[in-house]
Formats: sequence, structure tokens, C-alpha cells
Amino acid sequence: MPFAGIDIGSTMTKVVIVDRKETILASVIGPTGVEHRHLALKVMDEAIGQCGLTFEALDFIVATGYGRINVPFADKQITEITCHARGIRAIFPTVRIIIDIGGQDSKGIKLDTGGKVANFVMNDKCAAGTGRFLEVIAETLGVKLADMGKISLAAREYVKISNTCTVFAEHEVTSRLAEGATIPEIVAGLHESIAGRVVNMVRHLGIEKDVVVTGGGAKNIGLVKAMEGKIGFPVLVPPEPFLTGALGAALLGKGFFDRGMIRDHERRLESVTFFK
Amino acid sequence: MNDHIKYYAGIDIGSVSIKAVLISSQRIIASEIMASGGNYRDAAQKVLDGVLSKAGMNAEGLSGMVVTGLGAENAPFRARQVSDISCQARGCRCLFSSARTVIDIGGQFTKVARITAKGRVADFLMSEKCATGSGRFLQVIARILRVKLEEIGPLSLKSQSPVEFSTNCAVFAESETVSRIAEGARVEDILAGVHRAMASKVALLVKRVKMESDVVLTGGGGEDVGLVLAVSKVLGVKVLVPEQPRLSAAFGAACLAEEGI
Repeated sequence: MPFAGIDIGSTMTKVVIVDRKETILASVIGPTGVEHRHLALKVMDEAIGQCGLTFEALDFIVATGYGRINVPFADKQITEITCHARGIRAIFPTVRIIIDIGGQDSKGIKLDTGGKVANFVMNDKCAAGTGRFLEVIAETLGVKLADMGKISLAAREYVKISNTCTVFAEHEVTSRLAEGATIPEIVAGLHESIAGRVVNMVRHLGIEKDVVVTGGGAKNIGLVKAMEGKIGFPVLVPPEPFLTGALGAALLGKGFFDRGMIRDHERRLESVTFFK
Repeated sequence: MNDHIKYYAGIDIGSVSIKAVLISSQRIIASEIMASGGNYRDAAQKVLDGVLSKAGMNAEGLSGMVVTGLGAENAPFRARQVSDISCQARGCRCLFSSARTVIDIGGQFTKVARITAKGRVADFLMSEKCATGSGRFLQVIARILRVKLEEIGPLSLKSQSPVEFSTNCAVFAESETVSRIAEGARVEDILAGVHRAMASKVALLVKRVKMESDVVLTGGGGEDVGLVLAVSKVLGVKVLVPEQPRLSAAFGAACLAEEGI
């Protein structure tokens, strides 16, 4: 009895398939294309292939993330807040605060002692404090986004980036380079800047142990360290931060199924033909 | 040069360009605009030399000079420094005696001031945190669209249905622009949409300083007819624009030099 969760984010599409015992059977991460629907199918197809199942064998499919409404074959759509909370609780049962740094937004989620979502804050209005900020400036610096964490660890001190706006910060970085600042110092400064913005936003929720950092930002060790510095204690990071939303979606799907909920509509045929 | 006539210079060292205006009795004798580049000192000297040579005189012939703008401290010559907002207020007041609100949309910042009948600054606000309200937003989008800055205004006037951006962030709007182009949106509709987004951001500042008529729009933004129209629409008033919107702060600086205040 397999259950699938598909998380369509602004930059990545993720699929996780779990079985009755909540064991992960398959997981796939692919870039989100302009046409979400095609990609959703492609990534889903890959995940099904990974565990040797067929599309029809899936008992329940839950879609989440900002592209969730574009998934024609999902049985239910659930917000990423709920899915992240569920997915992370499965990995870290003691979690109270989740910080999700995505490609185009950042969120803070507070869970009550029972693991229910109590409150959340979100920034999707401004690129500062999101993965996008780092992405833009990585390009200016000519370094790979994936390398930024490691690069920043080489810095003994950081260069303060005083501009919040990504567009202005891009210029500021160029000037700092011209003044002789090193790339590691600048990258460390960028991490400080994002960490400051995100942690200040999450403070509105009241920060309590344990704090889990997830989303693409959690893969950046420099950013995670900078956040720990602001929070004042160590944070937890899931083994695969990209997948927590999709995992939560799959687990929530299992929950629905266990409570006797079945597909409320036929999965659209068009989705099946796309699998060819 | 007539020895009895006194000449005054105003230099505005801005983030994108440096402007110089030479006046006598509040009349512009000569002016010069040059890109700031990486060295404000050299560029400022060049601009001053340029404006003086246009008028056929040298620095000794000046009876007074005021420098203003972001880079005023970098001026390579001795001159009084006055804040750009005071110069802008003075300049706009000299150009339009009815001016009570001044909006300066520059390459990097947008500033809004309410001024008194005498041209003094009564209240003043500035957006420096976010690129959306400034000329940078337009530059970012124009670069993707491969449209020259001076073409933006006329082109945007052709728009039939301006694009509604779902975001107010220049960075997110950049990617939204790319998707909109893929969906077949017209360049003029995108530009008009950017104008609207900027105008709404500018209007927020204008409301906070408690707008009074008449409103003057200066800075590079004043050269963009589409933006002027959008601002005027959002504010619901007619917006006055100087003949050379980028020169008004330098002109005001020269006026202040002449007044000796």
C-alpha cells in the first residue's frame, strides 16, 4: 500500500513514496520547469520506477508546494506548512520551530507540544532572506550556489553587507570586492545577512527548542551556522532537507487513507498518457 | 564675460551621474551631465571644467559654488556642501513657484519632500531599502527586455493592458517578466506594468509626507513620460516636470550659492 507526496516548489519538484509502515520506498528531486504539470509527471514517473510500482498502485497522492494546484493526478492538495510540519515531525519528534528557506520564500512554523501547527510567518514579498538572494549574488561572484556554504567556512571574519535589497546588495558586493575583501568573507557576510533577516522574522513566533532548518537553505552549512549564531543554540537539519515537504505530504496521504478517505475523483486520464 | 555679472555653480554628485549647472540671477548659463563612473573626484572635476568651458570662463570667475548629492564629500574643490534634498527643494521652487511636493526618482533612491512656499523642506522621506521605487527597477527590467532607457517612456505609452505584477520585489519581478514574455506578453505592457508598480511604491512615500499640490517630479524618472503619467494617475493630480529633470538639484545648489544662505 504505497502513498505518494509531491512537493512543487518554485525551483525544485520533489516526490516521496512511502509504504504502510511509513518507510520511504522512493524519493526524487528534479528542477521545476515552466510547465509544472509535465515535470510533475516526469518526477513522479521516476519515483514510481525507482520502487517498481505502477501509477495505479498508489493508494493516495497528496500534492503540496506553490505549484500544488497544477497537479492533475493528485487526490488532495495540502499547504506546504502542514506538510513540512508532518514530514519533519516524522524525523524529529521533538521539533517546535521549523525554519524553511526555499528558493523564493522563507517561512517559520511553530508547532504546539502535540505537534500541531500553532502559528507561522512567511516572507514571499522580497527576495532578501530567501534562496534567491544567494542565487543572484553567487552569480555575481562567479561561484556555485552549492559551494557557498563550504566557501564561507574559510572566512575568519565576515564583511557586513548593509543593503537589504538584493539588487543593491549585488552592487555592494562588487564594491567590497574592489576594495579587497575576499570571496569567503563576502559569502560569510551574505549568510549573516540572510540569517539575520530570517531569524528576526521567526522570533515573532517565540523560538523554542528544538529548531529544525529545512529547504534548500539547510544544505548550506555556512548559512546554518550563521543561524545558530543568531538563535544561540544548535539547530537540527534533516538528512535530505529538500524532501521534508514531500515526505509530509505522503504521510498525510497515508493518514487520510487510514481514516477511510478514498480518492474523491477519478485520476485524470491525461496524466496517465503523459507517462508514455 | 562681463565683470559686473556674478556667476554661481551647483554640482550634484549622484550615484549614476554627476551634473553641473552654471547660473546668473537664477538663469541657467550652461550645464553638463556625465556618468559618475568609479571615480567621483575625477568625474566631478571634469563636469565642472566642462560647464565652465561651455561658458568660456574659469573657476576664478565663480562668485560661489555649492556641491550636493551622495558623493558631495568627494568633491575635489572647496565648496559648501548642502544636502541634496534642500537643493532639490530650492531648485524646484525656483522653477515652479507653486511647487509644494517634490518627488525625486533617481538611479538608486527615491526621495519625496514637502516644501514650504519659500522652498524650505518641511518633511522628507526616502526609499533606500528596496529597488522597486527607484530607477534601478526599470534598469533591471529594461535590460531583460533589451530596451534602451530613453525608449521606455514612449514605448510604454502604447500599452493597452499593463501587466499586473504579482510581486513588488525587483528580483522576483525580473523572473516574472521572463515568464510573462514566454506567455506572450508585449514589451509595452510589461513596461507599463513596471511603471504602475513603481508609481504605487512612490505614492506610499508621497502619502506619508502629506502631499500638497503642486507636485513636481524630478530626477532621471522625470525623463520617462510613462512613469510620470503613472505617478500622476496614482496620485490623482497633475505632475509638473522640469525641462531637464536631472538638473534640478544642481540648479538648486547654484541658486543656494547665489543666495549665499
